[in-house]
Amino acid sequence: MSAALTRIFAIARITFIEMARLRVFYVLVLFALALVLGSSFLARISFQQELQVTEDIALGAVNFFLSLLAILITAQLLPRDMEDRVIYSVLAKPVTRFEYMLGKFLGVVALLSVSAIAMSLLCVAIIHLREQTAIRETMAQMAQSTPADRAAALRGVYEAGAMNRLSAALAAALAKGIILAALTLCVSSFATSSVFTISAMAMIYLVGNLESVARDYWLHQQVPSVLARAFLAVVTFVFPDLQAFNLTDQLFAGAVLSSDLLLRLAGLAAVYTASYLLIAMAFFSQREL
Amino acid sequence: MSEAAVRLDNVSKVFPVPLRRRVNVALRDLNLEIAPGEVYGLLGPNGSGKSTTLKIIVGLVAPTRGRVTIFGRENSVVATRRDIGFLPENAYFHKFLSGEETLRFHAKLGGVPAGGIASRANELLETVGLTHARHARLGTYSKGMLQRIGLAQALIHKPKLLVLDEPTAALDPAGSHDIQNLITSLKREGATVLLSSHLLTQVQEVCDRVGILHRGKLLRQGRLGDLLGVANQTELVLENAPAELLAEIEREIEASGARLIARRQPQSSLEQFFLNVTGQPDE
Ligand SMILES: Nc1ncnc2c1ncn2[C@@H]1O[C@H](COP(=O)(O)OP(=O)(O)OP(=O)(O)O)[C@@H](O)[C@H]1O
Ligand SMILES: [Mg+2]
Repeated sequence: MSAALTRIFAIARITFIEMARLRVFYVLVLFALALVLGSSFLARISFQQELQVTEDIALGAVNFFLSLLAILITAQLLPRDMEDRVIYSVLAKPVTRFEYMLGKFLGVVALLSVSAIAMSLLCVAIIHLREQTAIRETMAQMAQSTPADRAAALRGVYEAGAMNRLSAALAAALAKGIILAALTLCVSSFATSSVFTISAMAMIYLVGNLESVARDYWLHQQVPSVLARAFLAVVTFVFPDLQAFNLTDQLFAGAVLSSDLLLRLAGLAAVYTASYLLIAMAFFSQREL
Repeated sequence: MSEAAVRLDNVSKVFPVPLRRRVNVALRDLNLEIAPGEVYGLLGPNGSGKSTTLKIIVGLVAPTRGRVTIFGRENSVVATRRDIGFLPENAYFHKFLSGEETLRFHAKLGGVPAGGIASRANELLETVGLTHARHARLGTYSKGMLQRIGLAQALIHKPKLLVLDEPTAALDPAGSHDIQNLITSLKREGATVLLSSHLLTQVQEVCDRVGILHRGKLLRQGRLGDLLGVANQTELVLENAPAELLAEIEREIEASGARLIARRQPQSSLEQFFLNVTGQPDE
């Protein structure tokens, strides 16, 4: 058991190192960081809205780049190893295909987590700076107001900043990246080229972001038959409901981010990820190398 | 009788040809048995099924029919690979890792205990002559250097059976000479070696037994001496023999009724000459 863990972590570690040394990784992360940085300059309206717009842009950037990173990097894992015949020397060691796939996946998860943390730190730092500026400006403007008014205004600023909702949204973005990575691995376990995998994933990404709208519409418009429900279930499984993980909207609507909602999202992410990985392994164990 | 190191019973492999009704038969009813401690050479023209056979033995490719056992165990069991070291043909490995990182990685996979990994990696870098390039990324390695790293990763967990697909392809004469010596010394330590090659002279020098594959069928196999020996001829090579002695020998031969077929001066091989020239110290 512990020997198996050693092998899985060795593969995860090498996968992480290999991808972290890829140029595409740096370009993507630097670009995302630049966008997060730039978000505060892109948003110069009034200070409350400014805070919100800054968050909107920064979160959008983190969301998009984590998804992009997850798809682009995972799509290359198997084709690269097959092309370089690395897979032969690895699987000729006492390594099961299950351990190999799990190791690869954990490597991606580690890389996504590190990128997410880097982006999040910058995000939080920028929002915090904005918040401080907003507070200073508010206090200067309200020098003549009563203490009660000033306290209310302060609360307004903190509301807009909403650090705990911000971190929830960032965590959800990471969860979405992990689901996409598992699904990409699943597609590439039977695909013959990374171009195919990336195209398929681009489609799944688009549909996954729109499907909740279509589903709600359909479910509300007509009484769904059993068949329609089954069909919807399949579609929902093949195209994971990515919109559910975009917490930015909830953040602005002022919805309460209950621990209930977060737990449900975590559960959903775990189920999607585990199922995709199992399917990926089933395909990969049959695959002719 | 001891257990065979490798045993193939009626192994066939059929590759489907995509979008066609046809199939490509890579191996037909192959039977092969390699004894522990033996060095076996698999020969055959391009596309005859050598690599496919080796991949089936290692367990990377599943045979369509037939059975493969390694030291008596079914090779579909992953644990049998603890005993196998495999060098794939034209392997590249992770371009972004250095030689040392590559070896440490494979040592972990092969189950080398954590405490012994560093020393084992150093030892093998030394063995394959890559100590000077240990920190360079494999992307910068030459073809022959990659081949050497490939050999090192195959040996890292001290396997009892070595499966080498064209181990000396891309190596310079000194390198392929080193590998011949390495194989010989591994054999002395009791390892079993199965290799494929197109370099017949080398195969002749290191292998105990050879098999010739052609279009997926094993046409001939046997001990080299049995296959190649010319039973009724003998070769003498003399050094510093005076002319009188030679004349006398020839008279004796004539008297005995035997026939002298050829008399020639042995030439040193181009390989030996190359090794002498390049083996001299540089500075
Ligand atoms: N993955 C595969 N899919 C389809 N056909 C394959 C595959 N691998 C090998 N073959 C076919 O099997 C046959 C044997 O190939 P193999 O690679 O074993 O030959 P080889 O003896 O190693 O040749 P070489 O000397 O060129 O290395 C060839 O006809 C080849 O086309
Ligand atoms: Mg071959």
